[in-house]
Amino acid sequence: MNPILSVEGVTAGYGRVTVLHDISLEAGRFGNVGLFGPNGHGKTTLLRAISGLLQPKSGRILFDGQDIVGHSARAIVGAGLIHVPQGNRLFPDLSIADCMALGAYSPRARPHEAENREKVVKLFPKLAERWRQRVRTLSGGERQMVSIGTALMSHPRLLILDEPTLGLAPKIKDELCASVMDISRGGVPLIVVEQDIEFLLELTQQLYLVNHGAVATEIKPGESLDHGEIMSMYFGH
Amino acid sequence: MSALAEILFGGLFQGSLYAMMAVGLALVWTTIGVFNFSHGVFMMLGAYIAWQLVELGLPAAVAFPIAVVVMAGVGWILQASVVRPLIGRPNIVLVVVITTLAAGSLIENGALTIWGPRSKQIPALITGNTTVGGVGVSLHQIAIIVITPLILAALCMFLNRTRLGLALRAVAQNEDASHLVGLNVTALYGLAFAIAASLAGLAGIFMGGYRFMSPVMGSDPLLKALIVVVFGGISSISGPIFAAYLIGFFEAACSYYFGLYWTPALLFGVLILTLMVRPEGIFASRSRGLA
Ligand SMILES: Nc1ncnc2c1ncn2[C@@H]1O[C@H](COP(=O)(O)OP(=O)(O)OP(=O)(O)O)[C@@H](O)[C@H]1O
Ligand SMILES: [Mg+2]
Repeated sequence: MNPILSVEGVTAGYGRVTVLHDISLEAGRFGNVGLFGPNGHGKTTLLRAISGLLQPKSGRILFDGQDIVGHSARAIVGAGLIHVPQGNRLFPDLSIADCMALGAYSPRARPHEAENREKVVKLFPKLAERWRQRVRTLSGGERQMVSIGTALMSHPRLLILDEPTLGLAPKIKDELCASVMDISRGGVPLIVVEQDIEFLLELTQQLYLVNHGAVATEIKPGESLDHGEIMSMYFGH
Repeated sequence: MSALAEILFGGLFQGSLYAMMAVGLALVWTTIGVFNFSHGVFMMLGAYIAWQLVELGLPAAVAFPIAVVVMAGVGWILQASVVRPLIGRPNIVLVVVITTLAAGSLIENGALTIWGPRSKQIPALITGNTTVGGVGVSLHQIAIIVITPLILAALCMFLNRTRLGLALRAVAQNEDASHLVGLNVTALYGLAFAIAASLAGLAGIFMGGYRFMSPVMGSDPLLKALIVVVFGGISSISGPIFAAYLIGFFEAACSYYFGLYWTPALLFGVLILTLMVRPEGIFASRSRGLA
């Protein structure tokens, strides 16, 4: 299977600070992809470059064989590459219903709006109870559900999640992990950044350790690793 | 009786003009997070374009809508030239104050060069006078009092009931998230400016129908609109609307009881008090966002 996304030698950063150093990776060849690594080493920056929020200084990003570097975020969303950003800030004064309508804004997603809304409600029944409530009044877990729900409304062909369980209590976190597994079973390939390695091992087939803005280690299917080995990667080098 | 009627009428009339101006200022603030100091110039330009079209022989019913549409284009162009290139700068609010002031001054002097300093007047929406509650008023002013709430209601409907309006409200709240659902953020910024400029242009046409126009006619309304948004809170579109009418009534009452001379001083007194007690404005919630 061809990778749905491949990042080739991307260098990117903010102003004069370079965060990503010639990073390369592939997604979709073996299934879901997990990214992990220490804080502040460029995982979010990489996702921002992929979704067009940040212009790389050099390198190529191929989505479905097409170089999307220089494309607008809107065009990238229009192609079906959907990114759920870290920290679920969302639209604080909009209702859940409004967020869902925005998720279906792109012409590609519009025809599937009703069908996707049903999917979201089935996946997160809690949201249906609070459909008209403002996002700012929701709990952290509910906000994360709205973030992911909004992304599903965009009819993703590839879904990127940046630390979906960040800051959630264990029970909500388990529920959310189960929902993410459901999404994956529904046929949407995922790229997930997570600190919870157990969750990544369960969800993904291929792992990348991102360190100092580059891939330090790639773990392909078959090369199963236990928790201890991964921890030593974190702290070892 | 006639005192009440005079204050009521004066307040509704001034409030309408202030609301038309302030709403545009608030729209631009909530979507882009900048203050547009060429907003008063938009008002002047709308009036002069309408005047020019009427001079060319077009009937007012054609000239006025054309002027409003042209103003939408002017707003869009101004946004694209002196605001959009600066977006993302850390001190954007201050920088845009300067660039819009500069653009405004250029346009003002341009108008002076093209149309000259002589005062002009454009046709009233409706000619004639009547008396209401013992106070003599022009039909033009009554038309403004009736039309303005309709236009503002239409704007609120647009923002709250349509998908495009939803997109404008979204962009106001989170730019990155707006990009990530595929909104055309630059176009929405342009749209916010275009709507603001059209409303200001319309306010100019209203004003030019009962007062003499001059190239600096927009500066006092801009100041008043600033007071209105500071007073009402810049975080929403309904706050400034209520504040505009409140200030209209306040001014009307002040000038009735204390005379025109004292009105600005009293107004600023109220403004300073408001800022001390509720810095976010009297109708504001604590967040930035439309509707
Ligand atoms: N907008 C920005 N402007 C300047 N520097 C930034 C910006 N965003 C991130 N950085 C810097 O880029 C580096 C990488 O940040 P990034 O958010 O990509 O890390 P991360 O791997 O996602 O970390 P975390 O696990 O904490 O989310 C950090 O040093 C950070 O300070
Ligand atoms: Mg991050």
